Amino acid sequence: MKTFEDLKSQWEEQPQPKIPQDGSKIIMQKINGIKNKQRITNGVLLTTTLVLIGFLFYINAYSNLIVTLGLFLMIGSLIVRIMIEYVSIKDLKRMDFTKDVAAFRTDMISYYKKRITTHYVATPIILALYATGFIILLPSFKQNLSKGFYTYIVVSAIVILIVMVFFIGKQIQKELKSLKQIKNSQTS
Amino acid sequence: MTPQEKAFEQIFTTNYPKVFRLCQGYTNGDDALSKDLAQEVFIKCWQHWDSFRNQSNISTWIYRIAVNTCLMELRQKKAVPLSDHLSHLEASEESLSVSKEFQLKQLYQCIGKLSTDNKSIILLELEGLPQKEIAEIMGLSHEAIRVRIHRIKNELTKCVTQ
Repeated sequence: MKTFEDLKSQWEEQPQPKIPQDGSKIIMQKINGIKNKQRITNGVLLTTTLVLIGFLFYINAYSNLIVTLGLFLMIGSLIVRIMIEYVSIKDLKRMDFTKDVAAFRTDMISYYKKRITTHYVATPIILALYATGFIILLPSFKQNLSKGFYTYIVVSAIVILIVMVFFIGKQIQKELKSLKQIKNSQTS
Repeated sequence: MTPQEKAFEQIFTTNYPKVFRLCQGYTNGDDALSKDLAQEVFIKCWQHWDSFRNQSNISTWIYRIAVNTCLMELRQKKAVPLSDHLSHLEASEESLSVSKEFQLKQLYQCIGKLSTDNKSIILLELEGLPQKEIAEIMGLSHEAIRVRIHRIKNELTKCVTQ
C-alpha cells in the first residue's frame, strides 16, 4: 500500500525542468509586444471612428434627416458595441492576479456575470438599433441604387444578421460554460 | 538592464522550475502547454510588479499568480489527454525506470481527476509548501486547508493504488 509520502517523493524525483535561456528577456519582449498590440488596437479604433465621422460629412448625410438618423443608428450602435467589447477586454486584463484564489474566483464570476448581462441586455438592444437604422435607410437605398445592387444589399444584410446572431449565440454559450466551470471549480 | 529587470531575472531563474512543475499538474504533464502557462505567469508577475514590493513572502505572491493564471487560462480548454505527452520524462537525461515512469503518469492522471481547487491544494502540498502558506494562497482558513489536505491525500493515494 502506497502512502502519500511515497507519492510526494515520486513528485520530487521528477526530472527538473530546464530554465529557458534568456527566458526573462523573452518575457520582456512579449510584454513589449502586448503593449504595441494595445497601441495598434487603440489606433485602429480611433481611425475607424474618425473615418466614419468623415464619411458622414463627405456624403452630406446631415442634409437629409432620415439618412442622418439611419446612419447615426447604424454607426452609433456599432461603435457602442466595439466600445463595450474594448472595456470588457480591459477589465479582464486589469484583474488582480495577486489576490488569493477565492477572491480571484469571485472577481472572475462577477466579470462573467457582467458579460452575460451585456449579451442578454445590451447586445439585443444594439442589434435592434442597428437593424432599425438599416430599415430607415432602405427607401433611400432603393431610390439611389440599381435594382440589382439594392437586392444584393437587402439579402446580404439578412445573411449578415443571421451569421451575427449565430456567432453571438455561440459566444454566450461559451461564456456561460466558463462561468459554470469557475463556479464548479470550488468544492468543499 | 534596469534594477527592476535585474530583480525580475533573478526571480525568474529562481522560481521557473517550481512554477513550471505546478503548471504541469494542471495540464496532465503537457510540456508545451506548461511552458506557455509558466511564461504567462511571469508576464503577470511583471505586470503586477508594484504589488510585489508590498509582499513579505515572494513565494506566496508567485504561487497566487501561478494558480490564478492556470485557473484563468485553462477555463476554456478541454482536458488534455495523457497519452502523447510527458515526453520530458522519456527525453530526460536522468534515466527513470519504466515502472517509475508509469507511476508518475498514474499520479498525473489521478491529480487530473481532482476538482480545480483540490488540484491546486494538493499541488502546493506536493511542492512542500507549509499549510499556512497554502491557506494564504487559496484564501481559506488554516483549519479548512488542514482538513481538505487530509481528505485529498486519502483520495489521491486510493486512486494511485487502484
